[in-house]
Amino acid sequence: MTASGKDTSKSNALHLDDFSVKQDTVQHSVPKYYGEALLAAARANISILALTADLTAPTETDLVRDHLPNQFIMAGIAEANMVGVGAGLARAGFIPFVHSFSVFLSRRSFDQIAMQVAYPKTNVKLVGFMPGIDSLLGVSHQAIDDIALMRTLPNMTVLEPASPADYEDAVAATLAHEGPVYLRLYRATKQDLRPNNLPSLHVGKIRCLHAGSDAAIFATGLMVEQALHAAINLKQQGINASVIDCASIKPLDIEGILNVIKQSKIIVSAENHSVVGGLGSAIAEVMASSNIARPFFRIGVQDCFAEGGSRDFLFKKYGLTADAITAKIKQAIPS
Amino acid sequence: MKADNRTKISELQAIAKTIRMDVIRMVARHGQGYVQQGLGAADLFTHLYFQELRLDSSDLKWQDRDRFILSTAHNTAVYYATLARAGLIYPEMLEDYCVDGSVLEINASERLTPLIECTCGSLGQGLSVAAGLAMGAKLQQRNSNIYLMLGDGELEEGQVWEAALFAATHKLSNLIMVIDLNYMQVEGDARNVAAIDPVDSKLENFGWQTTVINGHDFDEMFASFEAAKADKERPSCIIAHTIPGKGVPFLEGQKSHNMVLPPHIAIDALDWLGGRP
Repeated sequence: MTASGKDTSKSNALHLDDFSVKQDTVQHSVPKYYGEALLAAARANISILALTADLTAPTETDLVRDHLPNQFIMAGIAEANMVGVGAGLARAGFIPFVHSFSVFLSRRSFDQIAMQVAYPKTNVKLVGFMPGIDSLLGVSHQAIDDIALMRTLPNMTVLEPASPADYEDAVAATLAHEGPVYLRLYRATKQDLRPNNLPSLHVGKIRCLHAGSDAAIFATGLMVEQALHAAINLKQQGINASVIDCASIKPLDIEGILNVIKQSKIIVSAENHSVVGGLGSAIAEVMASSNIARPFFRIGVQDCFAEGGSRDFLFKKYGLTADAITAKIKQAIPS
Repeated sequence: MKADNRTKISELQAIAKTIRMDVIRMVARHGQGYVQQGLGAADLFTHLYFQELRLDSSDLKWQDRDRFILSTAHNTAVYYATLARAGLIYPEMLEDYCVDGSVLEINASERLTPLIECTCGSLGQGLSVAAGLAMGAKLQQRNSNIYLMLGDGELEEGQVWEAALFAATHKLSNLIMVIDLNYMQVEGDARNVAAIDPVDSKLENFGWQTTVINGHDFDEMFASFEAAKADKERPSCIIAHTIPGKGVPFLEGQKSHNMVLPPHIAIDALDWLGGRP
């Protein structure tokens, strides 16, 4: 007990600044993949500023706050204003990275993003965490339509890296692109090691992570891992499925996607997002515009609101799993 | 107050009169544009562009320029007329105001870059961008001031108050907001729509420096801008009472957001502005 009567041994055991990451993550000190990439970029370029709306630790911007306080701006719980401030800073010559949860950034600030970021092509980088239904906090915190919203905006680039190992690449790609970018990220809960042979993430390029011509699974974000598991399951059953990482949702690698589709019998999209307006819709648009027909299935949130819960529980309940992908493809393969 | 920096009031009044005549001509020509708001804000625009703003007409992208954002982006007849009189756009351009294809759209847009520092029109957004520009100027240690004109109806937008809180929190003393207080919005008298008064104490409680002035009095305008620039701790707001239709007796005080100005009435109005008693 201290003189003030506070029991510091108890308060030290609490993780007072971060509710959004599981206890074991804090204890096993999982790297802040995004936070470290942003910090390194901001050290190298003093024009980079990090803005956040009362979600500093949950968006890993605490590293910039603590190491480069002059490049950190706390905007308070006011996302619409934060986007406008970011646009003003960009017009003054800065490169603002504007952070919140995906759902708030996209829904609460859509008009501000349209008018102050997308239309004038201000060099604002929008970074949203807690993608899709991956949230204990329920419908208010679940971004099931952010890809759809951002994808409809002219001049907007939309990136959803498959894993935290890609975040350094994603930050580099975001910076290399002069103009608006929406970056959709989740926080790592474990060490994430990049396979040695993995090509870098690039704007407008797909990455083939697994080869196969019976079926092609186009996946993004958290669903890439599920797609890879599905491909392994299918292989054991004699079905060869390719897994294509579509981190660059806009611009889409249309040529690359068409090449894959032409070589595949069945097409599946997999996203942690509504099947309306997201990656599945984008792939459907590519196929429909190219006069190519294939059996096509969209794995994702089936046009419904979800509920709060753990990732495993929700992904199972809402069909965002390797098993769901496997079942869909098996069902479609003529036996 | 330094008298030697000042443009003569008679000169400003003469400029404002020519701008009002331009507004009448522009709106009457194609039957598009906001005449009452334009006449009401003509003195504010004249003061801003002929007394206050530091701009370089030969280098519109001058890094240390003052920035002006028109959050009431529809009030363009008076804005474009002022830009033309100030030598920032070609006067001939005014003839194409609101004509299909013209960059002089009824809502000021990015197409008039670099004079447009922010595309508004979706109300409530200008102050946030102005705050970002003000913060940017501070971080870069520039002397620029960021000016913003906002309508009173726009105060009903929540984002204005988010931005007001942000600007005060970050001590953006280089930010000067002018509220064109004409109590007029689409629905009629703004006071019948929302309890916006008193504006000054609301903003003072948010941490702003405020002055309330007659928006047609050049002495009061000068003093209020000097007070705004002298405050090095707080953003400032100049609450300028203006009269819609000011300068043309039979239009003065007519509260109409979308008033149509038929050509024969426009001729009458020009007569008044031309010096008829």
